[in-house]
Amino acid sequence: MPFIDAGDLPGDSEIVADLIVIGGGMAGLALAREWAGSARSVAVIESGGKTFDPAVQDLYRGAGVMRGPDSPDQPFDDYVGQSRRRMLGGSGMIWGGKCVALDPADFARRDWVPGSGWPISRAAIQPYYDRACDLLEIAHFPPGETGLDVAGKPALAIGDRKAFFSAPRRFTKFSGGVDKAAYDRWRFAPAEAANVTVYLNANVTELRLAADGQSLARLDLACLNGRRHTARGRVYVLATGGIENARLLLASNTVAAAGVGNGAGLVGRHFQGHVVFSVDDRKGGRTSGVYLSGTDNDMTLYTDGSKGAAHCVFAPTLAGQKARRGGNCTITLNSFRTPAPVDPELAALQQLAGGVDRGAPVARADRDLSCFVMTEHAPNPESRVSLGDSSDALGVPRVKLEWTWSEADWRRLESSVAAFGQALGEAGLGRLAFPAERSRYLAMAATSASRHHMGTTRMHRDPAQGVVDDTSRVHGVDNLYVAGSSVFPTSGIGNPTLTLLAMTMRLSDHLKSHLARAA
Amino acid sequence: MTPLDRRHVLLALTGLAAGAATPAVAALPEIDPEGARRIGQAYLDSHPGRRFDAGRLQGDLLPDGWTPEASARLRARAAADFRAGRLFIHRGWRLSDTEGRLFALAALTPP
Repeated sequence: MPFIDAGDLPGDSEIVADLIVIGGGMAGLALAREWAGSARSVAVIESGGKTFDPAVQDLYRGAGVMRGPDSPDQPFDDYVGQSRRRMLGGSGMIWGGKCVALDPADFARRDWVPGSGWPISRAAIQPYYDRACDLLEIAHFPPGETGLDVAGKPALAIGDRKAFFSAPRRFTKFSGGVDKAAYDRWRFAPAEAANVTVYLNANVTELRLAADGQSLARLDLACLNGRRHTARGRVYVLATGGIENARLLLASNTVAAAGVGNGAGLVGRHFQGHVVFSVDDRKGGRTSGVYLSGTDNDMTLYTDGSKGAAHCVFAPTLAGQKARRGGNCTITLNSFRTPAPVDPELAALQQLAGGVDRGAPVARADRDLSCFVMTEHAPNPESRVSLGDSSDALGVPRVKLEWTWSEADWRRLESSVAAFGQALGEAGLGRLAFPAERSRYLAMAATSASRHHMGTTRMHRDPAQGVVDDTSRVHGVDNLYVAGSSVFPTSGIGNPTLTLLAMTMRLSDHLKSHLARAA
Repeated sequence: MTPLDRRHVLLALTGLAAGAATPAVAALPEIDPEGARRIGQAYLDSHPGRRFDAGRLQGDLLPDGWTPEASARLRARAAADFRAGRLFIHRGWRLSDTEGRLFALAALTPP
């Protein structure tokens, strides 16, 4: 079916479909693609159009703050509105295309990480990862992969990979940040199917519950040109992103005062994101980095961050995390450091490391790499999305983000850094520099926040501990499901897109069998 | 135990056989003396309650001067330090305590 501009429909139109997908971003469009050509009718309800519109984007504007222990709050208002794209294709329009599967450890229950443990294992999600990789036309991520097999660039084995391994990343061309034309084909494709209709410029203003509160009765829609409509389906999938999913559930409070699916007060809580911790003070001789004294490996496997290149980072094994009771982390080698005026201490240090590690002096510039560290942001109910005091142009309350780090997060960061430095040194491979002070962590985090928004509708079989069950259905609402990284119970350290697509494939299969059974 | 002078300590720190002062060895650059001294002084400063002297450190680290056995032993000792978390952190660099002590020996050894 062609695209339909909801602003052109007669007022008070009713859109009817078997499956209604709220949000035409990567998750919503992937779901629509899965249903393309089926016997079921599908309606995708997208807020934006095919091109960027500042007036539509403004609907995302909100308030924000990043918090951490013993540091002044960091203003974060701009981030809320600018970290997503509200248009067909969603934030895939600005995504860099980096793909990675979460580590098996990320799915495990780790009694030292509060709130950890997915109700599904990595093995169970593997077939969906494979399908998501096929969708993005990249090679699969076999479970337990500890490095890429790239000719001439063997992955570096640190201490027999007991504590740290090389975690691969791959790039897809299907993202606005890599190949706009390819991504245009990808985002327009669902509408080519006869059973899929994509409605543009259609904003959901309320997920309207039935009077008994047990199911969704309809969607209330509004267009910026003033038109209002409704949409009615057999099942609904909310796929508007990690912040907006929570916002819509909370703002839909006509029938349930706390919002839809919020009986346990969990909607919006446990917000998790990824940030980078690094120091780059070359003049002051303080830069986070690695000096590799004990290997002659070609390290471009780790340092070439260009799109399409094979890429690895270092990450801890589950055993490594357990040994230090720490979370997941990654250490990314960034580039060769710019040669600075000779720093005698640095020279002495590198020469000594070479002597101890190799029995011969080495001080090679190409072994001197900068690095950054990312650490798992553990689930924390105080890190949350809630409704603010003002409303957008359509009357929907704007969002308020309180991105909160705990002292335990900082401890896990420090234990990760210590463990990696020790593993490198013990293996005789090199030395780590991480000259960061705890008082600076929050400022580093606030200036390096990724667009990865996770956890606000976390998955758990127990309605007291999660917003959606292990099928992604909202607890207590029969016909409402959530797609996207908001269902992640924990965040791991990896770009979430591949995982959210895998979870969407899994949801798609569930919905197909669910509707078949219902018929 | 024959006391080492600073040059021999510095050569030892780079893993060179200080006793084999062949032309080839002599042509190799020794470890940066000023950098080694500064790091060594930082190690000493980070242990304000302890007294160090060059003789004791040499007896601990290089009792027989530099030998191939000393090289292997120091490597194993540094690895054990890293394994046990006995670190000397200088300007953010994670060094083994043994490496810190080697630098301290350089700082305390007279030229």
